[in-house]
Amino acid sequence: MSARLFELMLKAAGTTVVISFVSIGIGLLIGILVCAAKLSPRPWLRWPAVLFVSFFRGVPLLVQLLLIYNLLPAIGLAVPSLVAALIGLSLCTAAYQAENLRGGFTSVPRGLLEAADMVGLSPWQQFRRIRAPIALRLTVPALVNEAILILKASSLVSVVGVIELTRTAQNLAASTYEPLLFYSVAGGLYLAINWMVAGGGSLTERALRRGRLA
Amino acid sequence: MTTPILAQAQDALARVKTEGVLKVGTETAFAPFDFIDATGEHAGFNVDAFAEVGKELGVKIKWVELPWDGVLPALEAGQFNMVAGPATITKARMERYRFLSPVAEATVAILRRAKDDTIKTPQDIAGKTVGAGKATAQLAQLKTFGATLPKPVETREYPGFNEAYADLAAGRIAAVANSLPNIAYVASKQPAVFAVVKPPFGQKSYFGYIGTKKPDDQPLLDAVQAALVKIKTDGRMKKLQEKWFGTAFDTPDVAPEPSF
Repeated sequence: MSARLFELMLKAAGTTVVISFVSIGIGLLIGILVCAAKLSPRPWLRWPAVLFVSFFRGVPLLVQLLLIYNLLPAIGLAVPSLVAALIGLSLCTAAYQAENLRGGFTSVPRGLLEAADMVGLSPWQQFRRIRAPIALRLTVPALVNEAILILKASSLVSVVGVIELTRTAQNLAASTYEPLLFYSVAGGLYLAINWMVAGGGSLTERALRRGRLA
Repeated sequence: MTTPILAQAQDALARVKTEGVLKVGTETAFAPFDFIDATGEHAGFNVDAFAEVGKELGVKIKWVELPWDGVLPALEAGQFNMVAGPATITKARMERYRFLSPVAEATVAILRRAKDDTIKTPQDIAGKTVGAGKATAQLAQLKTFGATLPKPVETREYPGFNEAYADLAAGRIAAVANSLPNIAYVASKQPAVFAVVKPPFGQKSYFGYIGTKKPDDQPLLDAVQAALVKIKTDGRMKKLQEKWFGTAFDTPDVAPEPSF
């Protein structure tokens, strides 16, 4: 593979990283809101969140992407390829991240919260000092897992016209007639990126265990 | 103060001229019309032809790449102004879309492995497995032709023709049916691997660029049509065809009524 083609593959890997990380970030923000809504005692907050999660977790990402790209223009919003891809990936991962966070929050032992009540901590103090740190620690492995899944799922966004790592490998494999070479390089790049994500995740977990974060 | 209202009243041609950009949807996996070349550049007959169309209209071309089965739905959704597939002009498509002046002949032929002597004429695919692109006119022609043979042809459908060529090279299928310009190009690039089986079979057909039938799009498509006819008349089209297909085609100025 010439240096020029390897550079193209690296650039495409950059596109993959950027769309994945932006989506994971936006998805985390939306996920926090959806999780809060789902844990809320008020039904008018809870039900939309339940619907959101069932839809975006229940419909394949490929179908979501095609719906966003082809249906939004019908209501006058012809979003460009990149925006459609970011909306699809963000909403899908938001649904999963909301459930991961909810799992973390509901796993905080009741006894700890009762003890906190006894020593007179306010609900906000309880959240900040006890519930959030414990929930976060329980959620980090699931979030890293989700980040890795989204990085791989981002190979689907070529159906809405975003040329990322997988599509670039397909294009170059087709024009050079060397599929083995280009798919191996693409596989290697995905693996390298995901190693870094997993590594970052373990460092975060270790820091959380030693109480340096949160 | 009247500008916003005027902007809304503009048709697709006025909008394209104002923005200076013509958005064209394509799949970049249909050599030699449109593909990513071995240096990673988007190249092919379409790229050169639309460069000329852009010059005639005084606008830049912006390419949007999608897998082929997503291109026509996205055109209808308004994601781009037109499609440079190009697509084989068929009755069903003619009913739904507007075809511009044909740019090449699209009659279907067979591609086989260079070393496979069992396929000497198109009829020799009887009883064999033949690949073609999903939802393509070539697939439809292959099925019609296969039904006339003594032993049925098993068809295998692919998301793109490159996957079909790869399977043919790997020996998973016996042949690929695609239009003559495409397979002639593939065989010329890899003569040790592939060979063309002549003559083409089925109905004579043409490749054309596609737009919608929405009234708003018609002035723009009229302008592109006029540009294409001009490019044909002054000989630029013949040069491009020779460059990319190795041969020039006589194509009518107006898309002819298809026979299938």
